[in-house]
Amino acid sequence: MSTILSIKKLRKEFGGVHAVDNVDFTVDRGIRLGIIGPNGAGKTTTFNMIAGAFKPTSGRIEFKEKRIDGLKPHKISQMGIGRTFQNVRSFKGLTVFEHVLAGNLAHNTRFTPKAEQYQEVENILEMTNLAEMRDVTVQNLTIAYQRRIELATALATKPELLLLDELMAGLTYVEIDKTLNLLRHINEEMGITLIVVEHVMKVIMELCMHIIVLNYGEKIAEGTPKEVANNPIVIEAYLGEEAEYA
Amino acid sequence: MRNMSNKTDLVGKSPRATIKVKSRSLIIIGVVLIILAVIPQIASDYIIYVATIAMLYAVLAGSYDLTTGYTGPLTFCHGAFYGVGAYTSALLTLKAGFPFWVAFPISGIMVFFFGMIVGYPALRLKGHYFAVTTFFFAHFIYLVILNSQGLTNGPLGLRNISPPESILGISFKSLQSSYYLIFVFGIAAVVFLYFLVNSGIGKILVSIRENDELAEAIGINTSFYKVLAFSIGAGIAGLTGSLFAHFFRLLHPTTFAWMTSEMVVIMAIVGGLGTLFGPIIGAGVVTLILELMRFAPELRFIIWSVALIAVLIIEPGGLMGIAGRIRGGKK
Repeated sequence: MSTILSIKKLRKEFGGVHAVDNVDFTVDRGIRLGIIGPNGAGKTTTFNMIAGAFKPTSGRIEFKEKRIDGLKPHKISQMGIGRTFQNVRSFKGLTVFEHVLAGNLAHNTRFTPKAEQYQEVENILEMTNLAEMRDVTVQNLTIAYQRRIELATALATKPELLLLDELMAGLTYVEIDKTLNLLRHINEEMGITLIVVEHVMKVIMELCMHIIVLNYGEKIAEGTPKEVANNPIVIEAYLGEEAEYA
Repeated sequence: MRNMSNKTDLVGKSPRATIKVKSRSLIIIGVVLIILAVIPQIASDYIIYVATIAMLYAVLAGSYDLTTGYTGPLTFCHGAFYGVGAYTSALLTLKAGFPFWVAFPISGIMVFFFGMIVGYPALRLKGHYFAVTTFFFAHFIYLVILNSQGLTNGPLGLRNISPPESILGISFKSLQSSYYLIFVFGIAAVVFLYFLVNSGIGKILVSIRENDELAEAIGINTSFYKVLAFSIGAGIAGLTGSLFAHFFRLLHPTTFAWMTSEMVVIMAIVGGLGTLFGPIIGAGVVTLILELMRFAPELRFIIWSVALIAVLIIEPGGLMGIAGRIRGGKK
Protein backbone atom coordinates (compact mmCIF):
# COMPACT_ATOMS: atom_id res chain seq x y z
CA MET A 1 0.00 0.00 0.00
CA SER A 2 1.36 3.39 -0.92
CA THR A 3 1.59 6.34 1.42
CA ILE A 4 -0.68 9.28 0.60
CA LEU A 5 0.25 11.59 3.47
CA SER A 6 3.30 11.71 5.65
CA ILE A 7 3.90 13.98 8.58
CA LYS A 8 7.32 14.46 10.10
CA LYS A 9 8.22 16.21 13.34
CA LEU A 10 5.24 18.53 13.05
CA ARG A 11 5.15 21.35 15.58
CA LYS A 12 2.85 24.27 16.15
CA GLU A 13 3.34 26.87 18.84
CA PHE A 14 0.88 29.59 19.75
CA GLY A 15 2.98 32.01 21.75
CA GLY A 16 4.56 29.76 24.36
CA VAL A 17 1.96 27.01 24.10
CA HIS A 18 2.83 23.86 22.18
CA ALA A 19 -0.43 22.92 20.53
CA VAL A 20 1.24 20.18 18.50
CA ASP A 21 4.67 18.87 19.44
CA ASN A 22 6.84 16.61 17.27
CA VAL A 23 4.03 14.57 15.81
CA ASP A 24 4.99 11.94 13.20
CA PHE A 25 2.67 9.67 11.30
CA THR A 26 1.97 8.35 7.84
CA VAL A 27 -1.35 7.60 6.19
CA ASP A 28 -1.73 4.78 3.67
CA ARG A 29 -3.85 5.37 0.61
CA GLY A 30 -7.39 4.09 0.94
CA ILE A 31 -7.57 3.64 4.71
CA ARG A 32 -9.85 5.16 7.32
CA LEU A 33 -7.69 6.74 9.98
CA GLY A 34 -9.00 8.07 13.28
CA ILE A 35 -7.36 10.72 15.44
CA ILE A 36 -8.53 10.81 19.04
CA GLY A 37 -7.48 12.52 22.21
CA PRO A 38 -8.86 14.61 25.06
CA ASN A 39 -9.89 18.22 24.48
CA GLY A 40 -6.97 20.41 23.54
CA ALA A 41 -4.85 17.48 22.41
CA GLY A 42 -4.03 19.18 19.09
CA LYS A 43 -6.33 17.27 16.73
CA THR A 44 -7.92 20.24 15.04
CA THR A 45 -4.61 22.12 14.95
CA THR A 46 -3.09 19.17 13.10
CA PHE A 47 -5.98 19.28 10.63
CA ASN A 48 -5.58 22.98 10.14
CA MET A 49 -1.91 22.52 9.33
CA ILE A 50 -2.59 19.74 6.81
CA ALA A 51 -5.31 21.82 5.14
CA GLY A 52 -3.15 24.93 5.10
CA ALA A 53 -5.18 27.10 7.46
CA PHE A 54 -2.18 27.24 9.85
CA LYS A 55 1.48 27.31 8.92
CA PRO A 56 3.46 24.83 11.05
CA THR A 57 6.16 26.26 13.31
CA SER A 58 8.41 23.48 12.10
CA GLY A 59 8.19 20.05 10.52
CA ARG A 60 7.15 18.68 7.18
CA ILE A 61 3.89 17.59 5.60
CA GLU A 62 4.03 15.65 2.35
CA PHE A 63 1.00 14.78 0.25
CA LYS A 64 1.62 12.37 -2.61
CA GLU A 65 5.35 12.94 -2.07
CA LYS A 66 5.05 16.71 -2.52
CA ARG A 67 5.72 19.09 0.31
CA ILE A 68 2.54 21.02 1.14
CA ASP A 69 3.17 22.67 4.51
CA GLY A 70 2.82 26.44 4.30
CA LEU A 71 0.85 26.39 1.03
CA LYS A 72 -2.40 28.35 0.83
CA PRO A 73 -5.59 26.38 1.63
CA HIS A 74 -6.93 26.70 -1.92
CA LYS A 75 -3.70 25.23 -3.38
CA ILE A 76 -3.93 22.27 -1.01
CA SER A 77 -7.57 21.77 -1.92
CA GLN A 78 -6.65 21.86 -5.61
CA MET A 79 -4.06 19.13 -4.96
CA GLY A 80 -6.77 16.83 -3.64
CA ILE A 81 -7.28 17.34 0.10
CA GLY A 82 -10.84 18.13 1.16
CA ARG A 83 -11.96 19.07 4.64
CA THR A 84 -14.90 19.90 6.86
CA PHE A 85 -14.75 22.27 9.82
CA GLN A 86 -15.33 21.53 13.50
CA ASN A 87 -17.74 24.47 13.70
CA VAL A 88 -19.99 24.14 10.70
CA ARG A 89 -19.22 26.61 7.95
CA SER A 90 -21.57 27.18 5.08
CA PHE A 91 -22.59 29.54 2.33
CA LYS A 92 -25.74 30.40 4.24
CA GLY A 93 -27.61 32.31 1.56
CA LEU A 94 -27.20 29.70 -1.19
CA THR A 95 -29.49 26.79 -1.90
CA VAL A 96 -28.20 23.29 -1.21
CA PHE A 97 -27.65 22.72 -4.92
CA GLU A 98 -25.69 25.95 -5.39
CA HIS A 99 -23.67 25.20 -2.26
CA VAL A 100 -22.47 21.86 -3.59
CA LEU A 101 -22.05 23.28 -7.09
CA ALA A 102 -19.59 25.82 -5.66
CA GLY A 103 -17.35 22.90 -4.66
CA ASN A 104 -17.42 21.56 -8.21
CA LEU A 105 -16.90 24.97 -9.85
CA ALA A 106 -14.02 25.76 -7.50
CA HIS A 107 -11.97 23.05 -9.20
CA ASN A 108 -13.26 23.57 -12.70
CA THR A 109 -14.22 27.20 -13.07
CA ARG A 110 -15.97 27.89 -16.33
CA PHE A 111 -17.90 30.88 -17.54
CA THR A 112 -20.66 28.50 -18.59
CA PRO A 113 -20.52 25.31 -16.49
CA LYS A 114 -20.82 22.09 -18.47
CA ALA A 115 -23.85 19.80 -18.23
CA GLU A 116 -21.61 17.09 -16.69
CA GLN A 117 -20.78 19.43 -13.83
CA TYR A 118 -24.45 19.80 -12.96
CA GLN A 119 -24.85 16.03 -13.26
CA GLU A 120 -21.94 15.38 -10.91
CA VAL A 121 -23.49 17.66 -8.32
CA GLU A 122 -26.80 15.90 -8.84
CA ASN A 123 -25.12 12.53 -8.15
CA ILE A 124 -23.48 13.76 -4.98
CA LEU A 125 -26.80 15.12 -3.70
CA GLU A 126 -28.37 11.75 -4.42
CA MET A 127 -25.60 9.89 -2.61
CA THR A 128 -25.63 12.14 0.46
CA ASN A 129 -29.43 12.04 0.64
CA LEU A 130 -29.80 15.75 0.01
CA ALA A 131 -31.62 15.56 -3.32
CA GLU A 132 -35.03 16.48 -1.95
CA MET A 133 -33.60 19.49 -0.11
CA ARG A 134 -31.73 20.86 -3.04
CA ASP A 135 -33.73 24.08 -3.53
CA VAL A 136 -33.86 24.92 0.18
CA THR A 137 -31.70 27.81 1.41
CA VAL A 138 -28.93 26.40 3.59
CA GLN A 139 -29.51 28.75 6.54
CA ASN A 140 -33.00 27.31 7.01
CA LEU A 141 -31.68 23.80 7.61
CA THR A 142 -30.62 22.12 10.85
CA ILE A 143 -26.98 21.70 11.88
CA ALA A 144 -27.18 18.01 10.97
CA TYR A 145 -28.09 18.95 7.41
CA GLN A 146 -25.48 21.68 7.27
CA ARG A 147 -22.78 19.19 8.26
CA ARG A 148 -23.92 16.87 5.50
CA ILE A 149 -23.94 19.78 3.01
CA GLU A 150 -20.40 20.64 4.03
CA LEU A 151 -19.40 17.02 3.44
CA ALA A 152 -21.18 16.99 0.06
CA THR A 153 -19.43 20.21 -0.96
CA ALA A 154 -16.06 18.75 0.03
CA LEU A 155 -16.88 15.65 -2.06
CA ALA A 156 -17.75 17.86 -5.02
CA THR A 157 -14.13 19.01 -5.07
CA LYS A 158 -13.18 15.39 -5.90
CA PRO A 159 -10.65 14.92 -3.11
CA GLU A 160 -8.30 11.97 -2.72
CA LEU A 161 -7.97 12.59 0.99
CA LEU A 162 -10.76 13.92 3.17
CA LEU A 163 -10.27 15.43 6.63
CA LEU A 164 -13.45 15.22 8.71
CA ASP A 165 -13.44 17.22 11.92
CA GLU A 166 -16.15 16.04 14.32
CA LEU A 167 -18.64 15.39 11.58
CA MET A 168 -20.89 13.52 14.01
CA ALA A 169 -21.04 16.13 16.76
CA GLY A 170 -24.64 16.85 17.72
CA LEU A 171 -26.12 14.04 15.62
CA THR A 172 -28.62 11.48 16.93
CA TYR A 173 -27.73 7.77 16.96
CA VAL A 174 -29.84 7.14 13.87
CA GLU A 175 -28.09 9.95 12.01
CA ILE A 176 -24.70 8.68 13.19
CA ASP A 177 -25.45 5.22 11.76
CA LYS A 178 -26.49 6.70 8.44
CA THR A 179 -23.40 8.88 8.28
CA LEU A 180 -21.17 5.88 9.13
CA ASN A 181 -22.60 4.00 6.15
CA LEU A 182 -22.07 7.03 3.96
CA LEU A 183 -18.44 7.34 5.06
CA ARG A 184 -17.80 3.64 4.37
CA HIS A 185 -19.30 4.10 0.93
CA ILE A 186 -17.11 7.15 0.25
CA ASN A 187 -14.06 5.23 1.35
CA GLU A 188 -14.72 1.85 -0.25
CA GLU A 189 -16.57 2.74 -3.45
CA MET A 190 -15.00 6.09 -4.25
CA GLY A 191 -11.54 5.21 -2.95
CA ILE A 192 -11.18 8.37 -0.87
CA THR A 193 -8.80 8.13 2.07
CA LEU A 194 -10.43 9.39 5.27
CA ILE A 195 -8.91 10.99 8.36
CA VAL A 196 -11.51 11.39 11.06
CA VAL A 197 -11.39 13.39 14.28
CA GLU A 198 -14.25 12.41 16.54
CA HIS A 199 -15.24 12.52 20.17
CA VAL A 200 -17.86 9.79 19.81
CA MET A 201 -15.82 6.63 20.57
CA LYS A 202 -18.37 4.33 18.99
CA VAL A 203 -17.79 6.03 15.67
CA ILE A 204 -14.02 5.80 15.81
CA MET A 205 -14.05 2.17 16.95
CA GLU A 206 -16.54 1.07 14.29
CA LEU A 207 -15.25 3.11 11.40
CA CYS A 208 -11.49 3.33 11.62
CA MET A 209 -8.88 0.74 10.68
CA HIS A 210 -6.10 2.60 12.38
CA ILE A 211 -6.10 5.08 15.26
CA ILE A 212 -3.66 7.73 16.42
CA VAL A 213 -3.96 9.05 19.97
CA LEU A 214 -2.82 12.58 20.78
CA ASN A 215 -2.49 14.10 24.23
CA TYR A 216 -1.12 17.57 25.02
CA GLY A 217 0.05 17.88 21.43
CA GLU A 218 2.07 14.67 21.44
CA LYS A 219 1.37 11.31 19.87
CA ILE A 220 1.05 8.86 22.77
CA ALA A 221 -0.16 5.74 20.97
CA GLU A 222 -1.01 4.31 17.58
CA GLY A 223 -2.57 1.04 16.37
CA THR A 224 -5.75 -0.81 15.53
CA PRO A 225 -8.89 0.14 17.49
CA LYS A 226 -8.43 -2.92 19.69
CA GLU A 227 -4.79 -2.22 20.49
CA VAL A 228 -5.54 1.40 21.29
CA ALA A 229 -8.50 0.56 23.51
CA ASN A 230 -6.35 -1.80 25.58
CA ASN A 231 -3.32 0.45 25.73
CA PRO A 232 -2.66 1.46 29.38
CA ILE A 233 -1.23 4.87 28.38
CA VAL A 234 -4.42 5.71 26.47
CA ILE A 235 -6.63 4.53 29.31
CA GLU A 236 -4.68 6.70 31.69
CA ALA A 237 -4.95 9.76 29.46
CA TYR A 238 -8.71 9.31 29.26
CA LEU A 239 -9.30 8.21 32.85
CA GLY A 240 -7.23 11.10 34.07
CA GLU A 241 -9.65 13.33 32.26
CA GLU A 242 -12.65 11.45 33.66
CA ALA A 243 -11.29 11.73 37.17
CA GLU A 244 -11.23 15.50 36.82
CA TYR A 245 -14.91 15.51 36.05
CA ALA A 246 -15.77 13.34 39.05
CA MET B 1 -34.37 10.92 -17.96
CA ARG B 2 -36.21 12.31 -14.95
CA ASN B 3 -32.96 13.78 -13.79
CA MET B 4 -32.29 15.26 -17.18
CA SER B 5 -35.52 17.20 -17.21
CA ASN B 6 -34.87 18.47 -13.69
CA LYS B 7 -31.43 19.53 -14.70
CA THR B 8 -32.55 21.92 -17.39
CA ASP B 9 -34.37 24.13 -14.96
CA LEU B 10 -31.44 23.95 -12.58
CA VAL B 11 -29.15 25.39 -15.20
CA GLY B 12 -31.21 28.54 -15.32
CA LYS B 13 -31.42 28.79 -11.56
CA SER B 14 -29.74 31.89 -10.19
CA PRO B 15 -28.54 32.69 -6.65
CA ARG B 16 -30.91 34.01 -4.01
CA ALA B 17 -29.90 37.57 -4.51
CA THR B 18 -30.00 37.46 -8.30
CA ILE B 19 -33.10 38.63 -10.04
CA LYS B 20 -34.89 36.00 -12.07
CA VAL B 21 -35.61 37.39 -15.46
CA LYS B 22 -39.28 36.59 -15.68
CA SER B 23 -41.59 37.96 -18.29
CA ARG B 24 -42.71 40.76 -15.97
CA SER B 25 -39.14 41.89 -15.35
CA LEU B 26 -38.52 41.83 -19.10
CA ILE B 27 -41.53 44.07 -19.68
CA ILE B 28 -40.27 46.55 -17.06
CA ILE B 29 -36.79 46.56 -18.60
CA GLY B 30 -38.33 47.09 -22.04
CA VAL B 31 -40.45 50.03 -20.87
CA VAL B 32 -37.47 51.70 -19.18
CA LEU B 33 -35.35 51.26 -22.31
CA ILE B 34 -38.06 52.72 -24.54
CA ILE B 35 -38.46 55.74 -22.23
CA LEU B 36 -34.69 56.29 -22.21
CA ALA B 37 -34.59 55.91 -25.99
CA VAL B 38 -37.26 58.55 -26.67
CA ILE B 39 -36.10 61.14 -24.09
CA PRO B 40 -33.75 62.99 -26.49
CA GLN B 41 -36.52 63.26 -29.08
CA ILE B 42 -39.13 64.86 -26.86
CA ALA B 43 -37.50 66.29 -23.73
CA SER B 44 -35.67 69.51 -22.97
CA ASP B 45 -31.87 69.71 -22.75
CA TYR B 46 -32.12 69.83 -18.97
CA ILE B 47 -33.91 66.49 -18.83
CA ILE B 48 -31.43 65.00 -21.28
CA TYR B 49 -28.60 66.03 -18.96
CA VAL B 50 -30.33 64.54 -15.93
CA ALA B 51 -31.03 61.29 -17.77
CA THR B 52 -27.40 61.12 -18.90
CA ILE B 53 -26.16 61.53 -15.35
CA ALA B 54 -28.61 58.85 -14.21
CA MET B 55 -27.32 56.45 -16.86
CA LEU B 56 -23.67 57.11 -15.98
CA TYR B 57 -24.46 56.54 -12.31
CA ALA B 58 -26.43 53.40 -13.19
CA VAL B 59 -23.34 51.87 -14.82
CA LEU B 60 -21.19 52.96 -11.87
CA ALA B 61 -23.60 51.46 -9.32
CA GLY B 62 -23.94 48.25 -11.36
CA SER B 63 -20.17 47.79 -11.62
CA TYR B 64 -19.82 48.71 -7.94
CA ASP B 65 -22.20 45.86 -7.11
CA LEU B 66 -19.75 43.37 -8.58
CA THR B 67 -17.35 43.89 -5.67
CA THR B 68 -19.51 44.91 -2.75
CA GLY B 69 -22.76 43.17 -3.66
CA TYR B 70 -21.50 39.93 -5.17
CA THR B 71 -18.02 39.39 -3.74
CA GLY B 72 -18.47 41.02 -0.34
CA PRO B 73 -15.83 43.65 0.51
CA LEU B 74 -17.36 47.09 1.15
CA THR B 75 -15.57 49.68 -0.97
CA PHE B 76 -15.77 53.47 -0.95
CA CYS B 77 -13.58 54.38 -3.89
CA HIS B 78 -15.62 53.77 -7.00
CA GLY B 79 -15.80 57.50 -7.69
CA ALA B 80 -12.00 57.63 -7.70
CA PHE B 81 -11.80 55.08 -10.52
CA TYR B 82 -14.46 57.07 -12.35
CA GLY B 83 -12.28 60.17 -11.97
CA VAL B 84 -9.06 58.46 -13.01
CA GLY B 85 -10.84 57.18 -16.14
CA ALA B 86 -12.20 60.65 -16.92
CA TYR B 87 -8.84 62.40 -16.50
CA THR B 88 -6.91 59.68 -18.33
CA SER B 89 -9.18 59.94 -21.33
CA ALA B 90 -9.27 63.76 -21.30
CA LEU B 91 -5.49 64.06 -20.99
CA LEU B 92 -4.86 61.49 -23.70
CA THR B 93 -6.97 63.49 -26.14
CA LEU B 94 -5.89 66.97 -25.01
CA LYS B 95 -2.17 66.48 -24.42
CA ALA B 96 -1.26 63.41 -26.47
CA GLY B 97 -3.69 64.12 -29.29
CA PHE B 98 -5.26 60.67 -29.23
CA PRO B 99 -8.69 60.32 -30.80
CA PHE B 100 -11.51 59.53 -28.36
CA TRP B 101 -11.97 56.04 -29.79
CA VAL B 102 -8.41 55.16 -28.75
CA ALA B 103 -8.45 57.03 -25.45
CA PHE B 104 -11.73 55.38 -24.39
CA PRO B 105 -10.51 51.76 -24.32
CA ILE B 106 -7.09 52.80 -23.01
CA SER B 107 -8.67 54.55 -20.03
CA GLY B 108 -10.74 51.42 -19.29
CA ILE B 109 -7.70 49.16 -19.48
CA MET B 110 -5.56 51.55 -17.47
CA VAL B 111 -8.08 51.82 -14.68
CA PHE B 112 -8.50 48.02 -14.72
CA PHE B 113 -4.78 47.63 -14.00
CA PHE B 114 -4.88 50.54 -11.59
CA GLY B 115 -7.66 48.70 -9.72
CA MET B 116 -5.44 45.63 -9.64
CA ILE B 117 -2.50 47.56 -8.20
CA VAL B 118 -4.73 49.08 -5.52
CA GLY B 119 -6.80 45.97 -4.89
CA TYR B 120 -3.94 43.49 -4.54
CA PRO B 121 -2.50 44.94 -1.33
CA ALA B 122 -5.73 46.52 -0.03
CA LEU B 123 -7.84 43.36 -0.32
CA ARG B 124 -5.53 41.61 2.12
CA LEU B 125 -7.34 43.67 4.72
CA LYS B 126 -10.72 42.48 5.83
CA GLY B 127 -14.05 44.12 6.58
CA HIS B 128 -13.92 47.62 7.98
CA TYR B 129 -10.17 47.92 7.59
CA PHE B 130 -10.50 47.47 3.86
CA ALA B 131 -13.48 49.85 3.71
CA VAL B 132 -11.53 52.59 5.53
CA THR B 133 -8.53 52.07 3.25
CA THR B 134 -10.64 52.54 0.13
CA PHE B 135 -12.25 55.61 1.68
CA PHE B 136 -8.89 57.30 2.14
CA PHE B 137 -7.67 56.08 -1.21
CA ALA B 138 -10.58 57.90 -2.85
CA HIS B 139 -9.65 61.07 -1.02
CA PHE B 140 -6.00 60.60 -1.95
CA ILE B 141 -6.91 60.41 -5.65
CA TYR B 142 -8.98 63.58 -5.30
CA LEU B 143 -6.02 65.40 -3.72
CA VAL B 144 -3.68 64.20 -6.44
CA ILE B 145 -6.04 65.45 -9.16
CA LEU B 146 -6.50 68.74 -7.31
CA ASN B 147 -2.80 69.38 -6.72
CA SER B 148 -1.07 68.07 -9.85
CA GLN B 149 -1.49 71.44 -11.50
CA GLY B 150 0.97 70.79 -14.28
CA LEU B 151 -0.93 67.76 -15.46
CA THR B 152 -4.57 68.20 -14.50
CA ASN B 153 -4.70 71.99 -14.28
CA GLY B 154 -5.64 71.55 -10.63
CA PRO B 155 -8.65 73.47 -9.34
CA LEU B 156 -9.07 75.27 -12.68
CA GLY B 157 -10.11 72.01 -14.27
CA LEU B 158 -9.74 70.84 -17.86
CA ARG B 159 -11.62 72.59 -20.65
CA ASN B 160 -12.19 72.13 -24.35
CA ILE B 161 -12.25 68.35 -24.22
CA SER B 162 -13.23 67.18 -27.68
CA PRO B 163 -16.46 65.29 -28.28
CA PRO B 164 -16.07 61.77 -29.71
CA GLU B 165 -15.10 61.85 -33.41
CA SER B 166 -17.74 60.86 -35.94
CA ILE B 167 -17.86 57.20 -36.68
CA LEU B 168 -19.90 55.41 -39.38
CA GLY B 169 -21.23 58.79 -40.43
CA ILE B 170 -22.64 59.52 -36.96
CA SER B 171 -21.40 62.75 -35.46
CA PHE B 172 -21.35 63.07 -31.69
CA LYS B 173 -21.29 66.85 -31.60
CA SER B 174 -24.95 67.18 -30.67
CA LEU B 175 -26.32 66.50 -27.22
CA GLN B 176 -28.73 63.88 -28.57
CA SER B 177 -26.14 61.75 -30.35
CA SER B 178 -23.79 61.81 -27.33
CA TYR B 179 -26.72 60.75 -25.22
CA TYR B 180 -27.31 57.74 -27.45
CA LEU B 181 -23.63 56.82 -27.25
CA ILE B 182 -23.88 56.65 -23.45
CA PHE B 183 -27.21 54.82 -23.74
CA VAL B 184 -25.66 52.10 -25.93
CA PHE B 185 -22.59 51.88 -23.67
CA GLY B 186 -24.88 51.53 -20.63
CA ILE B 187 -26.77 48.65 -22.20
CA ALA B 188 -23.54 46.92 -23.21
CA ALA B 189 -22.07 47.32 -19.72
CA VAL B 190 -25.19 46.00 -18.00
CA VAL B 191 -25.48 43.02 -20.37
CA PHE B 192 -21.81 42.22 -19.72
CA LEU B 193 -22.31 42.44 -15.94
CA TYR B 194 -25.48 40.37 -16.15
CA PHE B 195 -23.72 37.51 -17.91
CA LEU B 196 -20.74 37.79 -15.59
CA VAL B 197 -22.70 37.56 -12.33
CA ASN B 198 -24.79 34.66 -13.65
CA SER B 199 -21.76 32.74 -14.94
CA GLY B 200 -19.68 30.13 -13.13
CA ILE B 201 -17.36 32.96 -12.10
CA GLY B 202 -20.34 34.84 -10.63
CA LYS B 203 -21.19 31.80 -8.50
CA ILE B 204 -17.59 31.65 -7.28
CA LEU B 205 -17.81 35.34 -6.29
CA VAL B 206 -21.05 34.77 -4.40
CA SER B 207 -19.55 31.86 -2.46
CA ILE B 208 -16.67 34.14 -1.40
CA ARG B 209 -19.22 36.68 -0.16
CA GLU B 210 -21.10 34.01 1.78
CA ASN B 211 -18.05 32.61 3.58
CA ASP B 212 -14.56 33.30 2.33
CA GLU B 213 -12.85 30.83 4.68
CA LEU B 214 -14.97 27.96 3.39
CA ALA B 215 -14.52 29.20 -0.18
CA GLU B 216 -10.75 29.09 0.31
CA ALA B 217 -10.98 25.60 1.85
CA ILE B 218 -12.87 24.18 -1.14
CA GLY B 219 -10.17 25.38 -3.49
CA ILE B 220 -11.16 28.89 -4.55
CA ASN B 221 -8.29 31.36 -4.81
CA THR B 222 -10.25 33.97 -2.91
CA SER B 223 -7.66 36.76 -3.14
CA PHE B 224 -7.41 36.33 -6.92
CA TYR B 225 -11.17 36.51 -7.46
CA LYS B 226 -11.58 39.46 -5.09
CA VAL B 227 -8.92 41.41 -6.99
CA LEU B 228 -10.46 40.32 -10.31
CA ALA B 229 -13.95 41.53 -9.37
CA PHE B 230 -12.54 44.76 -7.96
CA SER B 231 -10.48 45.43 -11.11
CA ILE B 232 -13.31 44.65 -13.53
CA GLY B 233 -15.56 47.02 -11.57
CA ALA B 234 -12.79 49.64 -11.66
CA GLY B 235 -12.29 49.18 -15.41
CA ILE B 236 -15.98 49.73 -16.12
CA ALA B 237 -15.93 52.82 -13.89
CA GLY B 238 -12.92 54.03 -15.92
CA LEU B 239 -14.82 53.65 -19.21
CA THR B 240 -17.79 55.46 -17.69
CA GLY B 241 -15.48 58.28 -16.59
CA SER B 242 -14.11 58.59 -20.10
CA LEU B 243 -17.64 59.00 -21.50
CA PHE B 244 -18.40 61.56 -18.80
CA ALA B 245 -15.36 63.62 -19.80
CA HIS B 246 -16.24 63.68 -23.48
CA PHE B 247 -19.93 64.28 -22.89
CA PHE B 248 -19.56 67.30 -20.60
CA ARG B 249 -16.24 68.36 -22.22
CA LEU B 250 -15.23 69.91 -18.93
CA LEU B 251 -13.61 68.28 -15.87
CA HIS B 252 -13.22 69.59 -12.38
CA PRO B 253 -11.66 67.75 -9.40
CA THR B 254 -14.70 68.23 -7.15
CA THR B 255 -16.75 66.02 -9.48
CA PHE B 256 -14.61 63.15 -8.21
CA ALA B 257 -14.39 64.10 -4.56
CA TRP B 258 -15.47 61.58 -1.91
CA MET B 259 -19.13 62.58 -2.39
CA THR B 260 -19.26 60.79 -5.75
CA SER B 261 -17.99 57.54 -4.24
CA GLU B 262 -20.50 57.88 -1.44
CA MET B 263 -23.34 58.49 -3.90
CA VAL B 264 -22.53 55.24 -5.68
CA VAL B 265 -22.57 53.36 -2.37
CA ILE B 266 -25.90 54.92 -1.42
CA MET B 267 -27.46 54.14 -4.81
CA ALA B 268 -26.36 50.52 -4.59
CA ILE B 269 -27.69 50.13 -1.05
CA VAL B 270 -30.99 51.86 -1.84
CA GLY B 271 -31.45 49.58 -4.84
CA GLY B 272 -30.35 46.41 -3.04
CA LEU B 273 -26.81 45.02 -2.98
CA GLY B 274 -26.04 41.81 -4.81
CA THR B 275 -28.93 42.08 -7.25
CA LEU B 276 -27.27 43.99 -10.14
CA PHE B 277 -30.58 45.51 -11.29
CA GLY B 278 -31.20 46.93 -7.81
CA PRO B 279 -28.22 49.32 -7.86
CA ILE B 280 -29.09 50.32 -11.44
CA ILE B 281 -32.66 51.19 -10.44
CA GLY B 282 -31.29 52.81 -7.27
CA ALA B 283 -29.09 55.08 -9.40
CA GLY B 284 -32.11 56.22 -11.39
CA VAL B 285 -34.29 56.77 -8.34
CA VAL B 286 -31.62 58.63 -6.34
CA THR B 287 -30.67 60.91 -9.24
CA LEU B 288 -34.32 61.71 -9.82
CA ILE B 289 -35.07 62.46 -6.16
CA LEU B 290 -32.01 64.67 -5.79
CA GLU B 291 -33.03 66.63 -8.89
CA LEU B 292 -36.61 67.02 -7.65
CA MET B 293 -35.30 68.40 -4.37
CA ARG B 294 -33.31 71.16 -6.04
CA PHE B 295 -35.96 73.63 -4.89
CA ALA B 296 -34.49 73.38 -1.39
CA PRO B 297 -30.73 73.05 -1.87
CA GLU B 298 -29.88 73.47 1.80
CA LEU B 299 -32.38 70.80 2.88
CA ARG B 300 -31.71 68.39 0.01
CA PHE B 301 -29.13 66.20 1.68
CA ILE B 302 -30.78 66.32 5.09
CA ILE B 303 -34.10 65.07 3.71
CA TRP B 304 -32.23 62.59 1.63
CA SER B 305 -30.21 61.21 4.59
CA VAL B 306 -33.35 60.75 6.66
CA ALA B 307 -34.97 58.92 3.76
CA LEU B 308 -31.92 56.67 3.40
CA ILE B 309 -31.91 55.75 7.09
CA ALA B 310 -35.62 55.03 6.87
CA VAL B 311 -35.05 52.69 3.90
CA LEU B 312 -32.33 50.83 5.80
CA ILE B 313 -34.55 50.35 8.84
CA ILE B 314 -37.63 49.31 6.88
CA GLU B 315 -35.95 47.11 4.29
CA PRO B 316 -32.19 46.47 4.36
CA GLY B 317 -32.61 44.66 1.03
CA GLY B 318 -33.36 48.00 -0.62
CA LEU B 319 -35.82 48.51 -3.44
CA MET B 320 -35.25 44.97 -4.69
CA GLY B 321 -36.06 43.70 -1.22
CA ILE B 322 -39.32 45.66 -1.25
CA ALA B 323 -40.14 44.37 -4.73
CA GLY B 324 -39.45 40.83 -3.55
CA ARG B 325 -41.72 41.34 -0.56
CA ILE B 326 -44.55 42.57 -2.79
CA ARG B 327 -44.11 39.54 -5.05
CA GLY B 328 -44.10 37.43 -1.91
CA GLY B 329 -41.16 35.46 -3.28
CA LYS B 330 -38.76 36.34 -0.50
CA LYS B 331 -39.34 36.22 3.20
